[in-house]
Amino acid sequence: MLNNQPTGEERTVTYVGGATIDGAPIAYIVVLSAVCTALAFIPFSVIVALGGSFPLSQAIFPLVGWILGPIAGAVASGVGALVGVFVAPHTAGIPAVRVIGAVVASFVAGSMRHGTRRSWWWLPITVTGVICLALFGGRAMVQNGVGLWAVVAGAFIDWTALLLFALPTRTLVSKWISSPNPGLVATGLGLGTWIAAGMAHLVQGMITYFMYNWPEDVWVTLIPIIPVENLLRCVVGITIGTGVIAGLRAIGLVKPREAVY
Amino acid sequence: MSTLAFRTVERDSFFTRLDFRPKLFMIAVITTVAFVWEDPLMGGGLAAMVLLACLAVGVKPDYIRTVLLLMFPFGLILIFTQGFFSAALITTLTGLPPSAFHMLFVLPSTWPMIGGAGLSWEGMQYALNIIAKSLTMTMVIPLGVFTTDVDTMIVGLVKARIPYKIAFVFSSTLRFFPLLFARTQAIIEAQRLRGLAFEAMGPVKRLRVYARIVVPLILGALNESQMLDVVLQSRAFDGSPDRTYLHDSRLMAADYALFGLFGLFLLTAIIGYVVFGVGRFTGVLW
Amino acid sequence: MPQAIATFENVSYMYPRSSAPVLRDISLEIRKGEFLGLIGPNGAGKTTLCLAFNGIVPQFYGGRFFGSVNVAGLDTLEHPISTLARYVGIVLENPETQITATSVENEIAFALENLKVPREEIRARIPRVLEAVRLEGMERRHPQELSGGQKQRLAIAAMLAVRPSLLVLDEPTSQLDPVGAQEVFSTVQELNRELGVTIVMASHAAEELAECADRLVLLNAGQIVDEGPPAKLYTQVELMQRLHLRPPDVTRTFHYLREAGFSIPELPVTLDQGIAAIKPLATACRLQAPETQRVPAPRDGHPLVSVTHLTHTYENGTQALQDVSLDIHKGEYVLIAGQNGAGKSTLVRHFLRLLMPTAGEVRIDDVPTRDLSISTLARRVGYVAQNPDNQIFNTTVEKEIAFALRYLDTATDEIRARTERSLAAMGLLDARDRHPLSLPRGERARVVIAAILALEPEVVIFDEPTTGQDYQGARYILELTKQLHDAGKTVIVITHHLYLMAEYAERVIVMGKGILLRDAPIRVAFHETDLLASTYLVPPQAVQLAQAVSEATGMPLPCLTPQEVADALACHTIGRSV
Repeated sequence: MLNNQPTGEERTVTYVGGATIDGAPIAYIVVLSAVCTALAFIPFSVIVALGGSFPLSQAIFPLVGWILGPIAGAVASGVGALVGVFVAPHTAGIPAVRVIGAVVASFVAGSMRHGTRRSWWWLPITVTGVICLALFGGRAMVQNGVGLWAVVAGAFIDWTALLLFALPTRTLVSKWISSPNPGLVATGLGLGTWIAAGMAHLVQGMITYFMYNWPEDVWVTLIPIIPVENLLRCVVGITIGTGVIAGLRAIGLVKPREAVY
Repeated sequence: MSTLAFRTVERDSFFTRLDFRPKLFMIAVITTVAFVWEDPLMGGGLAAMVLLACLAVGVKPDYIRTVLLLMFPFGLILIFTQGFFSAALITTLTGLPPSAFHMLFVLPSTWPMIGGAGLSWEGMQYALNIIAKSLTMTMVIPLGVFTTDVDTMIVGLVKARIPYKIAFVFSSTLRFFPLLFARTQAIIEAQRLRGLAFEAMGPVKRLRVYARIVVPLILGALNESQMLDVVLQSRAFDGSPDRTYLHDSRLMAADYALFGLFGLFLLTAIIGYVVFGVGRFTGVLW
Repeated sequence: MPQAIATFENVSYMYPRSSAPVLRDISLEIRKGEFLGLIGPNGAGKTTLCLAFNGIVPQFYGGRFFGSVNVAGLDTLEHPISTLARYVGIVLENPETQITATSVENEIAFALENLKVPREEIRARIPRVLEAVRLEGMERRHPQELSGGQKQRLAIAAMLAVRPSLLVLDEPTSQLDPVGAQEVFSTVQELNRELGVTIVMASHAAEELAECADRLVLLNAGQIVDEGPPAKLYTQVELMQRLHLRPPDVTRTFHYLREAGFSIPELPVTLDQGIAAIKPLATACRLQAPETQRVPAPRDGHPLVSVTHLTHTYENGTQALQDVSLDIHKGEYVLIAGQNGAGKSTLVRHFLRLLMPTAGEVRIDDVPTRDLSISTLARRVGYVAQNPDNQIFNTTVEKEIAFALRYLDTATDEIRARTERSLAAMGLLDARDRHPLSLPRGERARVVIAAILALEPEVVIFDEPTTGQDYQGARYILELTKQLHDAGKTVIVITHHLYLMAEYAERVIVMGKGILLRDAPIRVAFHETDLLASTYLVPPQAVQLAQAVSEATGMPLPCLTPQEVADALACHTIGRSV
């Protein structure tokens, strides 16, 4: 409210904003993409099965999707991962696989938003996931003689992520992340990271499995390792995500249209 | 670590004079063919050609060395796992029963659990095929990207129908990531200067403290992005592809020739694989 | 009278989420070819005013807008920002954020490409604008390779290429070192005087604006308080001080002389005017040299920080420090000054064990730093970096302060006690539950200082604490350093804003190209103006006036502040505090 009425005539302001991708300002996308690239230099863990190490950037791809939305998030993560592949080859692995993983993680995370005109997106994403799982597991069992139990146990993070995404748990994730309760935010971030990172692993795993064709013994060896790595991503995702979301709310940054926080 | 730019090659060559679009096509074709082929000799040949091409055009040897060194332990794991444990796969692909495999050596049967296990030549071949694939798919990208000036790459991307906004995000990421990397170092330092001794911490504690580096990095970056938005607006930027370009990207005869060559290569490779089994894994190295 | 390039008529503006207007009834005319300076404390509305010229306010932010802004005949609310961008070039404070391209030429071309200028025309304009800002031949350079001053000049070039009617600069030198700031001011002045570019510049740099500006507009709380030539505005010393602004030192000096009874018909605003005016006054007076007001800390026992023949060469071969030796004793207040690249930060990083000597030794309390870990040293040597945001890791102020203590296995009671003390010392008790990033920048800096003080270090190092601050903000931080010093802490401040340090530091270490050029009491070091000039440091105007007096009278006059100069000339000693 203005205490002393201005002398000038009030004008109609047409709010223009800046250039956007899917409602997220390009400037936000640029800086988060650059953050992803910067974090590609920092190795965090080693993923034997995918043939590379796990840079710290992997822990924030889902968060980027929640901050920017599915499409803008996928662009930021994808471009960041792509540039990261060239400037930090020590954490890159197979470049295309790294980029695809980044895109999928952010896209899936951003798609968890509840109550929007895009609620139906879960269906084609789920179908794609099912196809990937069928190809992944099918190849293992049919061509490579891997036992069913080893596939089920070895692909634990993949099918649980797919299941949790297909079920209404995905909308629960977005409700929790947008909650003012920090405990719920943390839970949402943890569960959401499990889902998004798991789905990314599923797609990446499907592609790399067609290259590597790991025998059963490798599946068995990786059974305890892969879930621990995904759990690691969840822990890191919670630590980073709670801090970032609290900070974004405190700064009062203009929220992108498709943001989930 | 050079953070300022891509490690663009320094010398001029046929590759550097090509437009980015045929190089993109080349990357796609070679990646596809490498993905499909399972024969270690053909895959290895493709990998060798890509590697030689990288050296010839001037991709920095230290970059190549880094990639090879990083792949080395992974290659050993592949040889071990495929060599010892891929009997079912080899049998499916070649029709050979495990008893017909050529064993390079067999572990003494007295060894617990793994006694009697053997490293098969066929398994090792398969491992070599995977190593070749991985190497090809990794090295073909710098072959295309490091031989292209960033400016012409952006224009090339736009002419290849990549939305201009995405091309802009790409070029701006190249501009800003060194700043953010430097800031990451500053934040790590700031934590150490608060007395946090990373070395003395257990893994879980260290993980959580380390992850906190990212929080101020992201928040600081997003905070500054608002001013970046103002800057872009002030430069009349609206993300529209309807604009002029300082640099040019034009297809010349050599570019069309490369399109044709790789198109033919892809077609031949696919038909050869599907119809004649060229590139399939046979277990016979000849 | 030159025609008006831009006009503000009864402009008021409120941001979307703010409860008070940021601009109130602004009416202003910018004339073609003039150099207009905008001055005012932080929060006065200078940036908002600058952004209103090209329609960013309000089209980009939204909010409520009253009145009209006209630039080159276009109403800024009736034309899109992309159209207005042809007529108004804007250069902002942060040299990093406003360069978006990967090469100098691409940066210049960016706006032209957006405005659909043909390629040939873009190519023709690039070398011309680079020459205008003295960056010729740098077309292919990556912005990361440029210095701060060069980056700002590039930003100016990028705007010049568009051939705007008006160039608006918002605090373009606040984050630059003296060399960079000088480069920017001289470039802008040249553009104005030789090419006739109309300039609007918001700045706290009083001495420079006094030299360059044709007219100043003083803003406070969104309103124009006064306008006129620098000689009119800066000479209203009491008004400036009431608004926590700093007029040029030379003006303050003569203001104090006038208060002391001297007849000064017109207060000078530039150094040349001041020197011309002070010489006759000086020869007519019996001069009184200033009393030494600060008693240096007693130097007994071994030094707290001891540096012996320190040399440091970075991995890329840059020799950042060459054979530096110095001692810092407990309770000293030391200023380390030098241009960018002089080795100041490299030196200080050795105290923190962030770097190890290539040769020589550094000892803290007689223990070599190589025998101490960074975390151990951090408990004794606190470091406040330039950007407080890089040092904030937690979601509340209280957690931020307690952060390190928790990781150092401090007892819970002790954590609570120290946190309370730090909060109280920094005046943050009311903000304890707030997110640090929700606080203004100045308070964020206090949060970081509080967090470091909670560790109870003996030495506190402040690295460029005044960069990006207005005068009030800078004084606040320096007063904090004084409080710490009075409490017995050893304080080290790195800055190139020498004019701010005259009332605080006891001793000055001048670095230049990795060499320790001078280590002397402040009164000695500040008066070695040739030495300071050799490392591109600018002594306060008060020092230069004092030297002019010394030259005219033959009597050494090691004054540091305007008050001291005035007191020295007053023909009797007055015990007036500065």
